[in-house]
Amino acid sequence: MIIAVSGKGGVGKTLISSLLIKSLKGGDRDILAIDADPDSNLPEALGIKVERTVGNVREELKKDTAAGNIPQEANKWDILDYKIMESVIETPEFDLLVMGRPEGSGCYCAVNNMLRKIIETLSSNYDIIVIDTEAGLEHLSRRTTQNVDIMLVVTDTSKKGILTAQRIEKLSKELDISFKELHLIVNRVKPENKDDVLKKVSETGLNIIGTVYEDEIVYRYDIEGKPLIDLPDDSSANTAISMIVKDLKLK
Amino acid sequence: MFEDIPVDVSPMYEGERIRSANMFVELGGPKSSGAELVQVAEDVEDGSLEVVGSELSEMSEGEIHPFGISIQIQGEKLEKELEGVIERRVHELCNYVKGFMHLNQRDQIWCRVSKDAVEAGFKLEHLGKALSILLKEEFPIIEKIAVSIFTEKSEVEAFLETARAAYDVRDTRAMEISDEDVDVFYGCVMCQSFAPSHVCVVTPDRTALCGAINWFDCRAAAKMDPEGPIFEVTKGEVLDVEKGEYSDVNAMVSDRSQGMVDRVYLHSVFEYPHTSCGCFEAVAFYVPELDGIGIVDRDFRGETPLGIPFSAMAGQCSGGKQVEGFTGLSMGYMRSPKFLQADGGYERVIWMPKEIKESLTEFIPGDLIGKIPTEEDAGSIKEIRKFLKEHEHPIIERLKQAKGEVEESETFEEVSDEGEITPTAQVAYAPELSMHAGGGVKIILKNAKIYAEKVIIRKK
Repeated sequence: MIIAVSGKGGVGKTLISSLLIKSLKGGDRDILAIDADPDSNLPEALGIKVERTVGNVREELKKDTAAGNIPQEANKWDILDYKIMESVIETPEFDLLVMGRPEGSGCYCAVNNMLRKIIETLSSNYDIIVIDTEAGLEHLSRRTTQNVDIMLVVTDTSKKGILTAQRIEKLSKELDISFKELHLIVNRVKPENKDDVLKKVSETGLNIIGTVYEDEIVYRYDIEGKPLIDLPDDSSANTAISMIVKDLKLK
Repeated sequence: MFEDIPVDVSPMYEGERIRSANMFVELGGPKSSGAELVQVAEDVEDGSLEVVGSELSEMSEGEIHPFGISIQIQGEKLEKELEGVIERRVHELCNYVKGFMHLNQRDQIWCRVSKDAVEAGFKLEHLGKALSILLKEEFPIIEKIAVSIFTEKSEVEAFLETARAAYDVRDTRAMEISDEDVDVFYGCVMCQSFAPSHVCVVTPDRTALCGAINWFDCRAAAKMDPEGPIFEVTKGEVLDVEKGEYSDVNAMVSDRSQGMVDRVYLHSVFEYPHTSCGCFEAVAFYVPELDGIGIVDRDFRGETPLGIPFSAMAGQCSGGKQVEGFTGLSMGYMRSPKFLQADGGYERVIWMPKEIKESLTEFIPGDLIGKIPTEEDAGSIKEIRKFLKEHEHPIIERLKQAKGEVEESETFEEVSDEGEITPTAQVAYAPELSMHAGGGVKIILKNAKIYAEKVIIRKK
């Protein structure tokens, strides 16, 4: 089961992704979180310190190859495979893979081609994969996987956020990313504006699976730099996500 | 066949990863050490299996142990050269065992055993057993096989030394493999999404332009995914051994480039140089004034002696175009003894950035090292010529000879001075310039240089 969370930068994708993981973990299923947005901070939201990203691994391999440090006969697939496994951060309840920065100059066709297959193989070992991805769907189309089961598009109540959400639906079709379901999550809704906002959002024609209210405690966690995954179980954001997980029959 | 092994053994478990949360123990890997080695030997006791050190049943959950797999094989047709090929299969075959994860090769192996496998009664002895059965099945030339597994620290350390010595021997041999030693080369069209007519020909002496893959990598990739972007190509008839021209390579390139390119010289920048995708690590460019070849790499930010930076040059000769006088290169190719051999190799090189020159010290013939200028020694053609003369670069002899043939009365010194007094500025340089002249005629200027005494830019 692959769940991708996308949306315009700053709409709260990371909040949604981390709470999804919070809500899904604890069972006997193997969970992998993939941070595929170079601008996001999913690791911090999950309370994890990252030492090495896929981007780092990619650059290391490029450098070692150019300098002739890799024995001729050694298989680069295997080396890359090992290094990717090494960059997976393993916790008792879920694992995390951080894609990191996009590539520098030079040719990355070969290494990206290898990476795509390696990450596919790695992912096939997990029951649930949650990908926090950027609005351009770069990683989905080129690097990680093109098969998404559930695409969750997050928007805030701004016009721009809603427009981006609409564009993501179109883009995923253009990029040939197949998904079985696509739903919209509206974040940072003020209770008093709810009806108004939902009316506007429903005009997009996208199915709204959940609404997350603006919550003082989320701001406080952000300011204090506390991991969002540690938000209290009864916080409104967490309750909303648990409902979504139930509605999607993920638990 | 595997009835006394308590877990499933099947190719369907390839790619199995064991999360630390589901793992019983880790063997080798980044937090410990480990190695595997296949050796052809005499007097192998067929079917022998031993575990030196603790068995899984003697380990505790969550531990990390050093790990070694030593496989000795014997057979009439077995040669030492096959050790590497057979050893490469150990990775896949270990992964056939359900609940056993194996990554990478040589002294970089990383294994894990799952809790489920240990609960089912799985032991390292079973791993050894599975390996000996699977290897014999896959390589019928193996008549006798013995497997030793080490988990005892001192044993693993001693084994690591033996293994590393064996890898060194193998690597030296692999370094020496040249185009003549193999029957097939590989074609790669991974970059065709943006350079539709570009085909890389990868040979033991010529790694792909991007530098990412060599002949061995292609062999592995073509085997894993025969329908993929990397495929085998036979040599066919050897048309020119010096230039590196082969009939089947020409046919393949013609086919895969949609007829855009039908001849390729693997080891020359002249006539039919290898095409370039756009992502090469460096470019070799012909400098007509000096009849020599300059090299510039992607990381060099300054201007080349042609007056343009790497980026501009890359733009002109990339995209799968065959442009005489230019060819994309990988750093690896510059370490090959066949490096532009048809053009004279390093004897023809008259300029290169300091950084790459330093990285190639071992590969540039010793007597030439001091004779090839870098950006610190010379920037313009004039400065380069001066440097080459002062340092007696072999190209000077070549230039003199060429001049002598054309105009015997005129000395080389005079010509060069005359040429440089003329106050002209080069305003444009194009390796290939095509103009539509009307009437269905197209004029192509190759290596065109446009000189002007004065350039006037005026508003209309």
